[in-house]
Amino acid sequence: MNCDFCHKNEANIHLIKIQGGNVERINICKECAAEFSFLNEEDFYGDFAKILYRFFQVGDNGFHIGRDKKILRSINYSRNRKCSFCGIDLKTIKKIGKVGCSNCYNEFKDVLYPVVKSIQGCIESRGKIPVNTSSRIKLEKNIRDLRSRLKSEIIIENFEEAARIRDEIRKLEKSIYEQ
Amino acid sequence: MNSENFFLLKNKNGKTSPKNTGNRIILNTTVRLLRNITGYKFASVSSGREKSILLKKIRQCVESTKELGAFRFFLVKNLQKIQRDLLLEDYMISARIADKVQGKGLFIRSGKIKGESSSIIINQEDHLMMQSVRKWLNISEAYHEASEIESHLESKLNFTFDENLGYLTASPINLGTALKISFIIHLPVMAASPKIAEFVKKLNQVGCLVHGYFMDDSEVIGNLFKISNMVTLGKGEEDIVEEIQAICLNIIDDEQNARRKLKKNDLLGIKDNICRSFGLLKYAKILSYEESVELLSIIRLGLDLDLISGVKDFDYFELINKIRDPYIILDQEISEKVDSDRMDLMRADLIREKILKESS
Repeated sequence: MNCDFCHKNEANIHLIKIQGGNVERINICKECAAEFSFLNEEDFYGDFAKILYRFFQVGDNGFHIGRDKKILRSINYSRNRKCSFCGIDLKTIKKIGKVGCSNCYNEFKDVLYPVVKSIQGCIESRGKIPVNTSSRIKLEKNIRDLRSRLKSEIIIENFEEAARIRDEIRKLEKSIYEQ
Repeated sequence: MNSENFFLLKNKNGKTSPKNTGNRIILNTTVRLLRNITGYKFASVSSGREKSILLKKIRQCVESTKELGAFRFFLVKNLQKIQRDLLLEDYMISARIADKVQGKGLFIRSGKIKGESSSIIINQEDHLMMQSVRKWLNISEAYHEASEIESHLESKLNFTFDENLGYLTASPINLGTALKISFIIHLPVMAASPKIAEFVKKLNQVGCLVHGYFMDDSEVIGNLFKISNMVTLGKGEEDIVEEIQAICLNIIDDEQNARRKLKKNDLLGIKDNICRSFGLLKYAKILSYEESVELLSIIRLGLDLDLISGVKDFDYFELINKIRDPYIILDQEISEKVDSDRMDLMRADLIREKILKESS
């Protein structure tokens, strides 16, 4: 299995994070792991804000120790890339550790998503959704919630309830399809 | 605008905090929900004018909502310096942006009991921060209040949302539910034990950030810690609330066990420590804020362990708020320019007035 970060070396460290029934796997090679500050135990258990800060903190003379080379490269290539809505550039985002508008998450997706993943552990929202979101997103969230309930019902061998949930999921999936 | 109606720590009905609160280890719970509004730049890049336009929009929205009628609006620009200091110390506005005040405002509503409040803070780091503060350990009630405020606004304002990242916030640390739960915890025995490092590590492992309570958190003052949830994405709101609740109960257990053990193993030592602190508080003329907080922490422990007499049962968290410089200035109605010795003298008198029993 190749490393998730450099995509070249064989991954020999495998992290499995289990969060709310959701299993997340990260595979890293030794070289990349050494580069990653968030795998350093002290940092990992320390302040996540610090990790974020270090992630962003790239010295002007090139790389700072410890972080994803690929992200770094893209940051360095595009230090002056600007968000088309708010005009903030990556250099500033790195400096202040904050984005300028909601569009930034889209615009700098390649750089920000790995950062978010390293802080939050995953990129999958499971919280509540605003009332005025499109009905498709609402349905998808319902299905996700039902799936995780389905899993736990199966674990406790409550198959009757599990079957009911399964049917409900099918119904919802059908309605998405029809939309 | 006087201190009384401004900070709203004093309750309208004059009720005091409930007596039987079970434990006095978790002192205060804060729940924050962050939201931004679609089509506007975040506060880090928007100009003062842009902030003012957004502020006006949000203000209209809050004021036109019947259920939020009890909230009072304050424009940060119009607050006197001293009141701004108070806000700063209570973390409602962050230190770095306390000077850039244009377009910043807040709504405050006092709670049922003294020391509780809810607020809507506009144009701080994020466009909206809905905050509910409760005394002692009361996460679910605080969460429900913050979430209720949010639900009144969500139909009127379009919050930024992404199906993968959840609610979009200025800092990636808050993405997802954008729900931050924090509590202030008083650990006089644990903090002194060598196990504290292990304890902090344990908390980090379960996804909690641990800080000293006071702003520059390099040192822990008064054995007060602020603990908050780290992960906001990939979990539902209820899950976060439940997890933090469980963690709190564990911490209370740990501290209580440590206290029992200490009382059993080193009664004389702890008595000596408490009495020394009491002596200092009773007779010292000049008490700096940090020293007062440290000493009061030990006195509070003495009361909890039933090892001290001559002291009234006081609310530690409330008292350390009351003896801050800005409060003393407001309370004593003195000018802002007081030299620090006089301030410390007033502080020492104030503490004695609050905690000593009349007979002693």
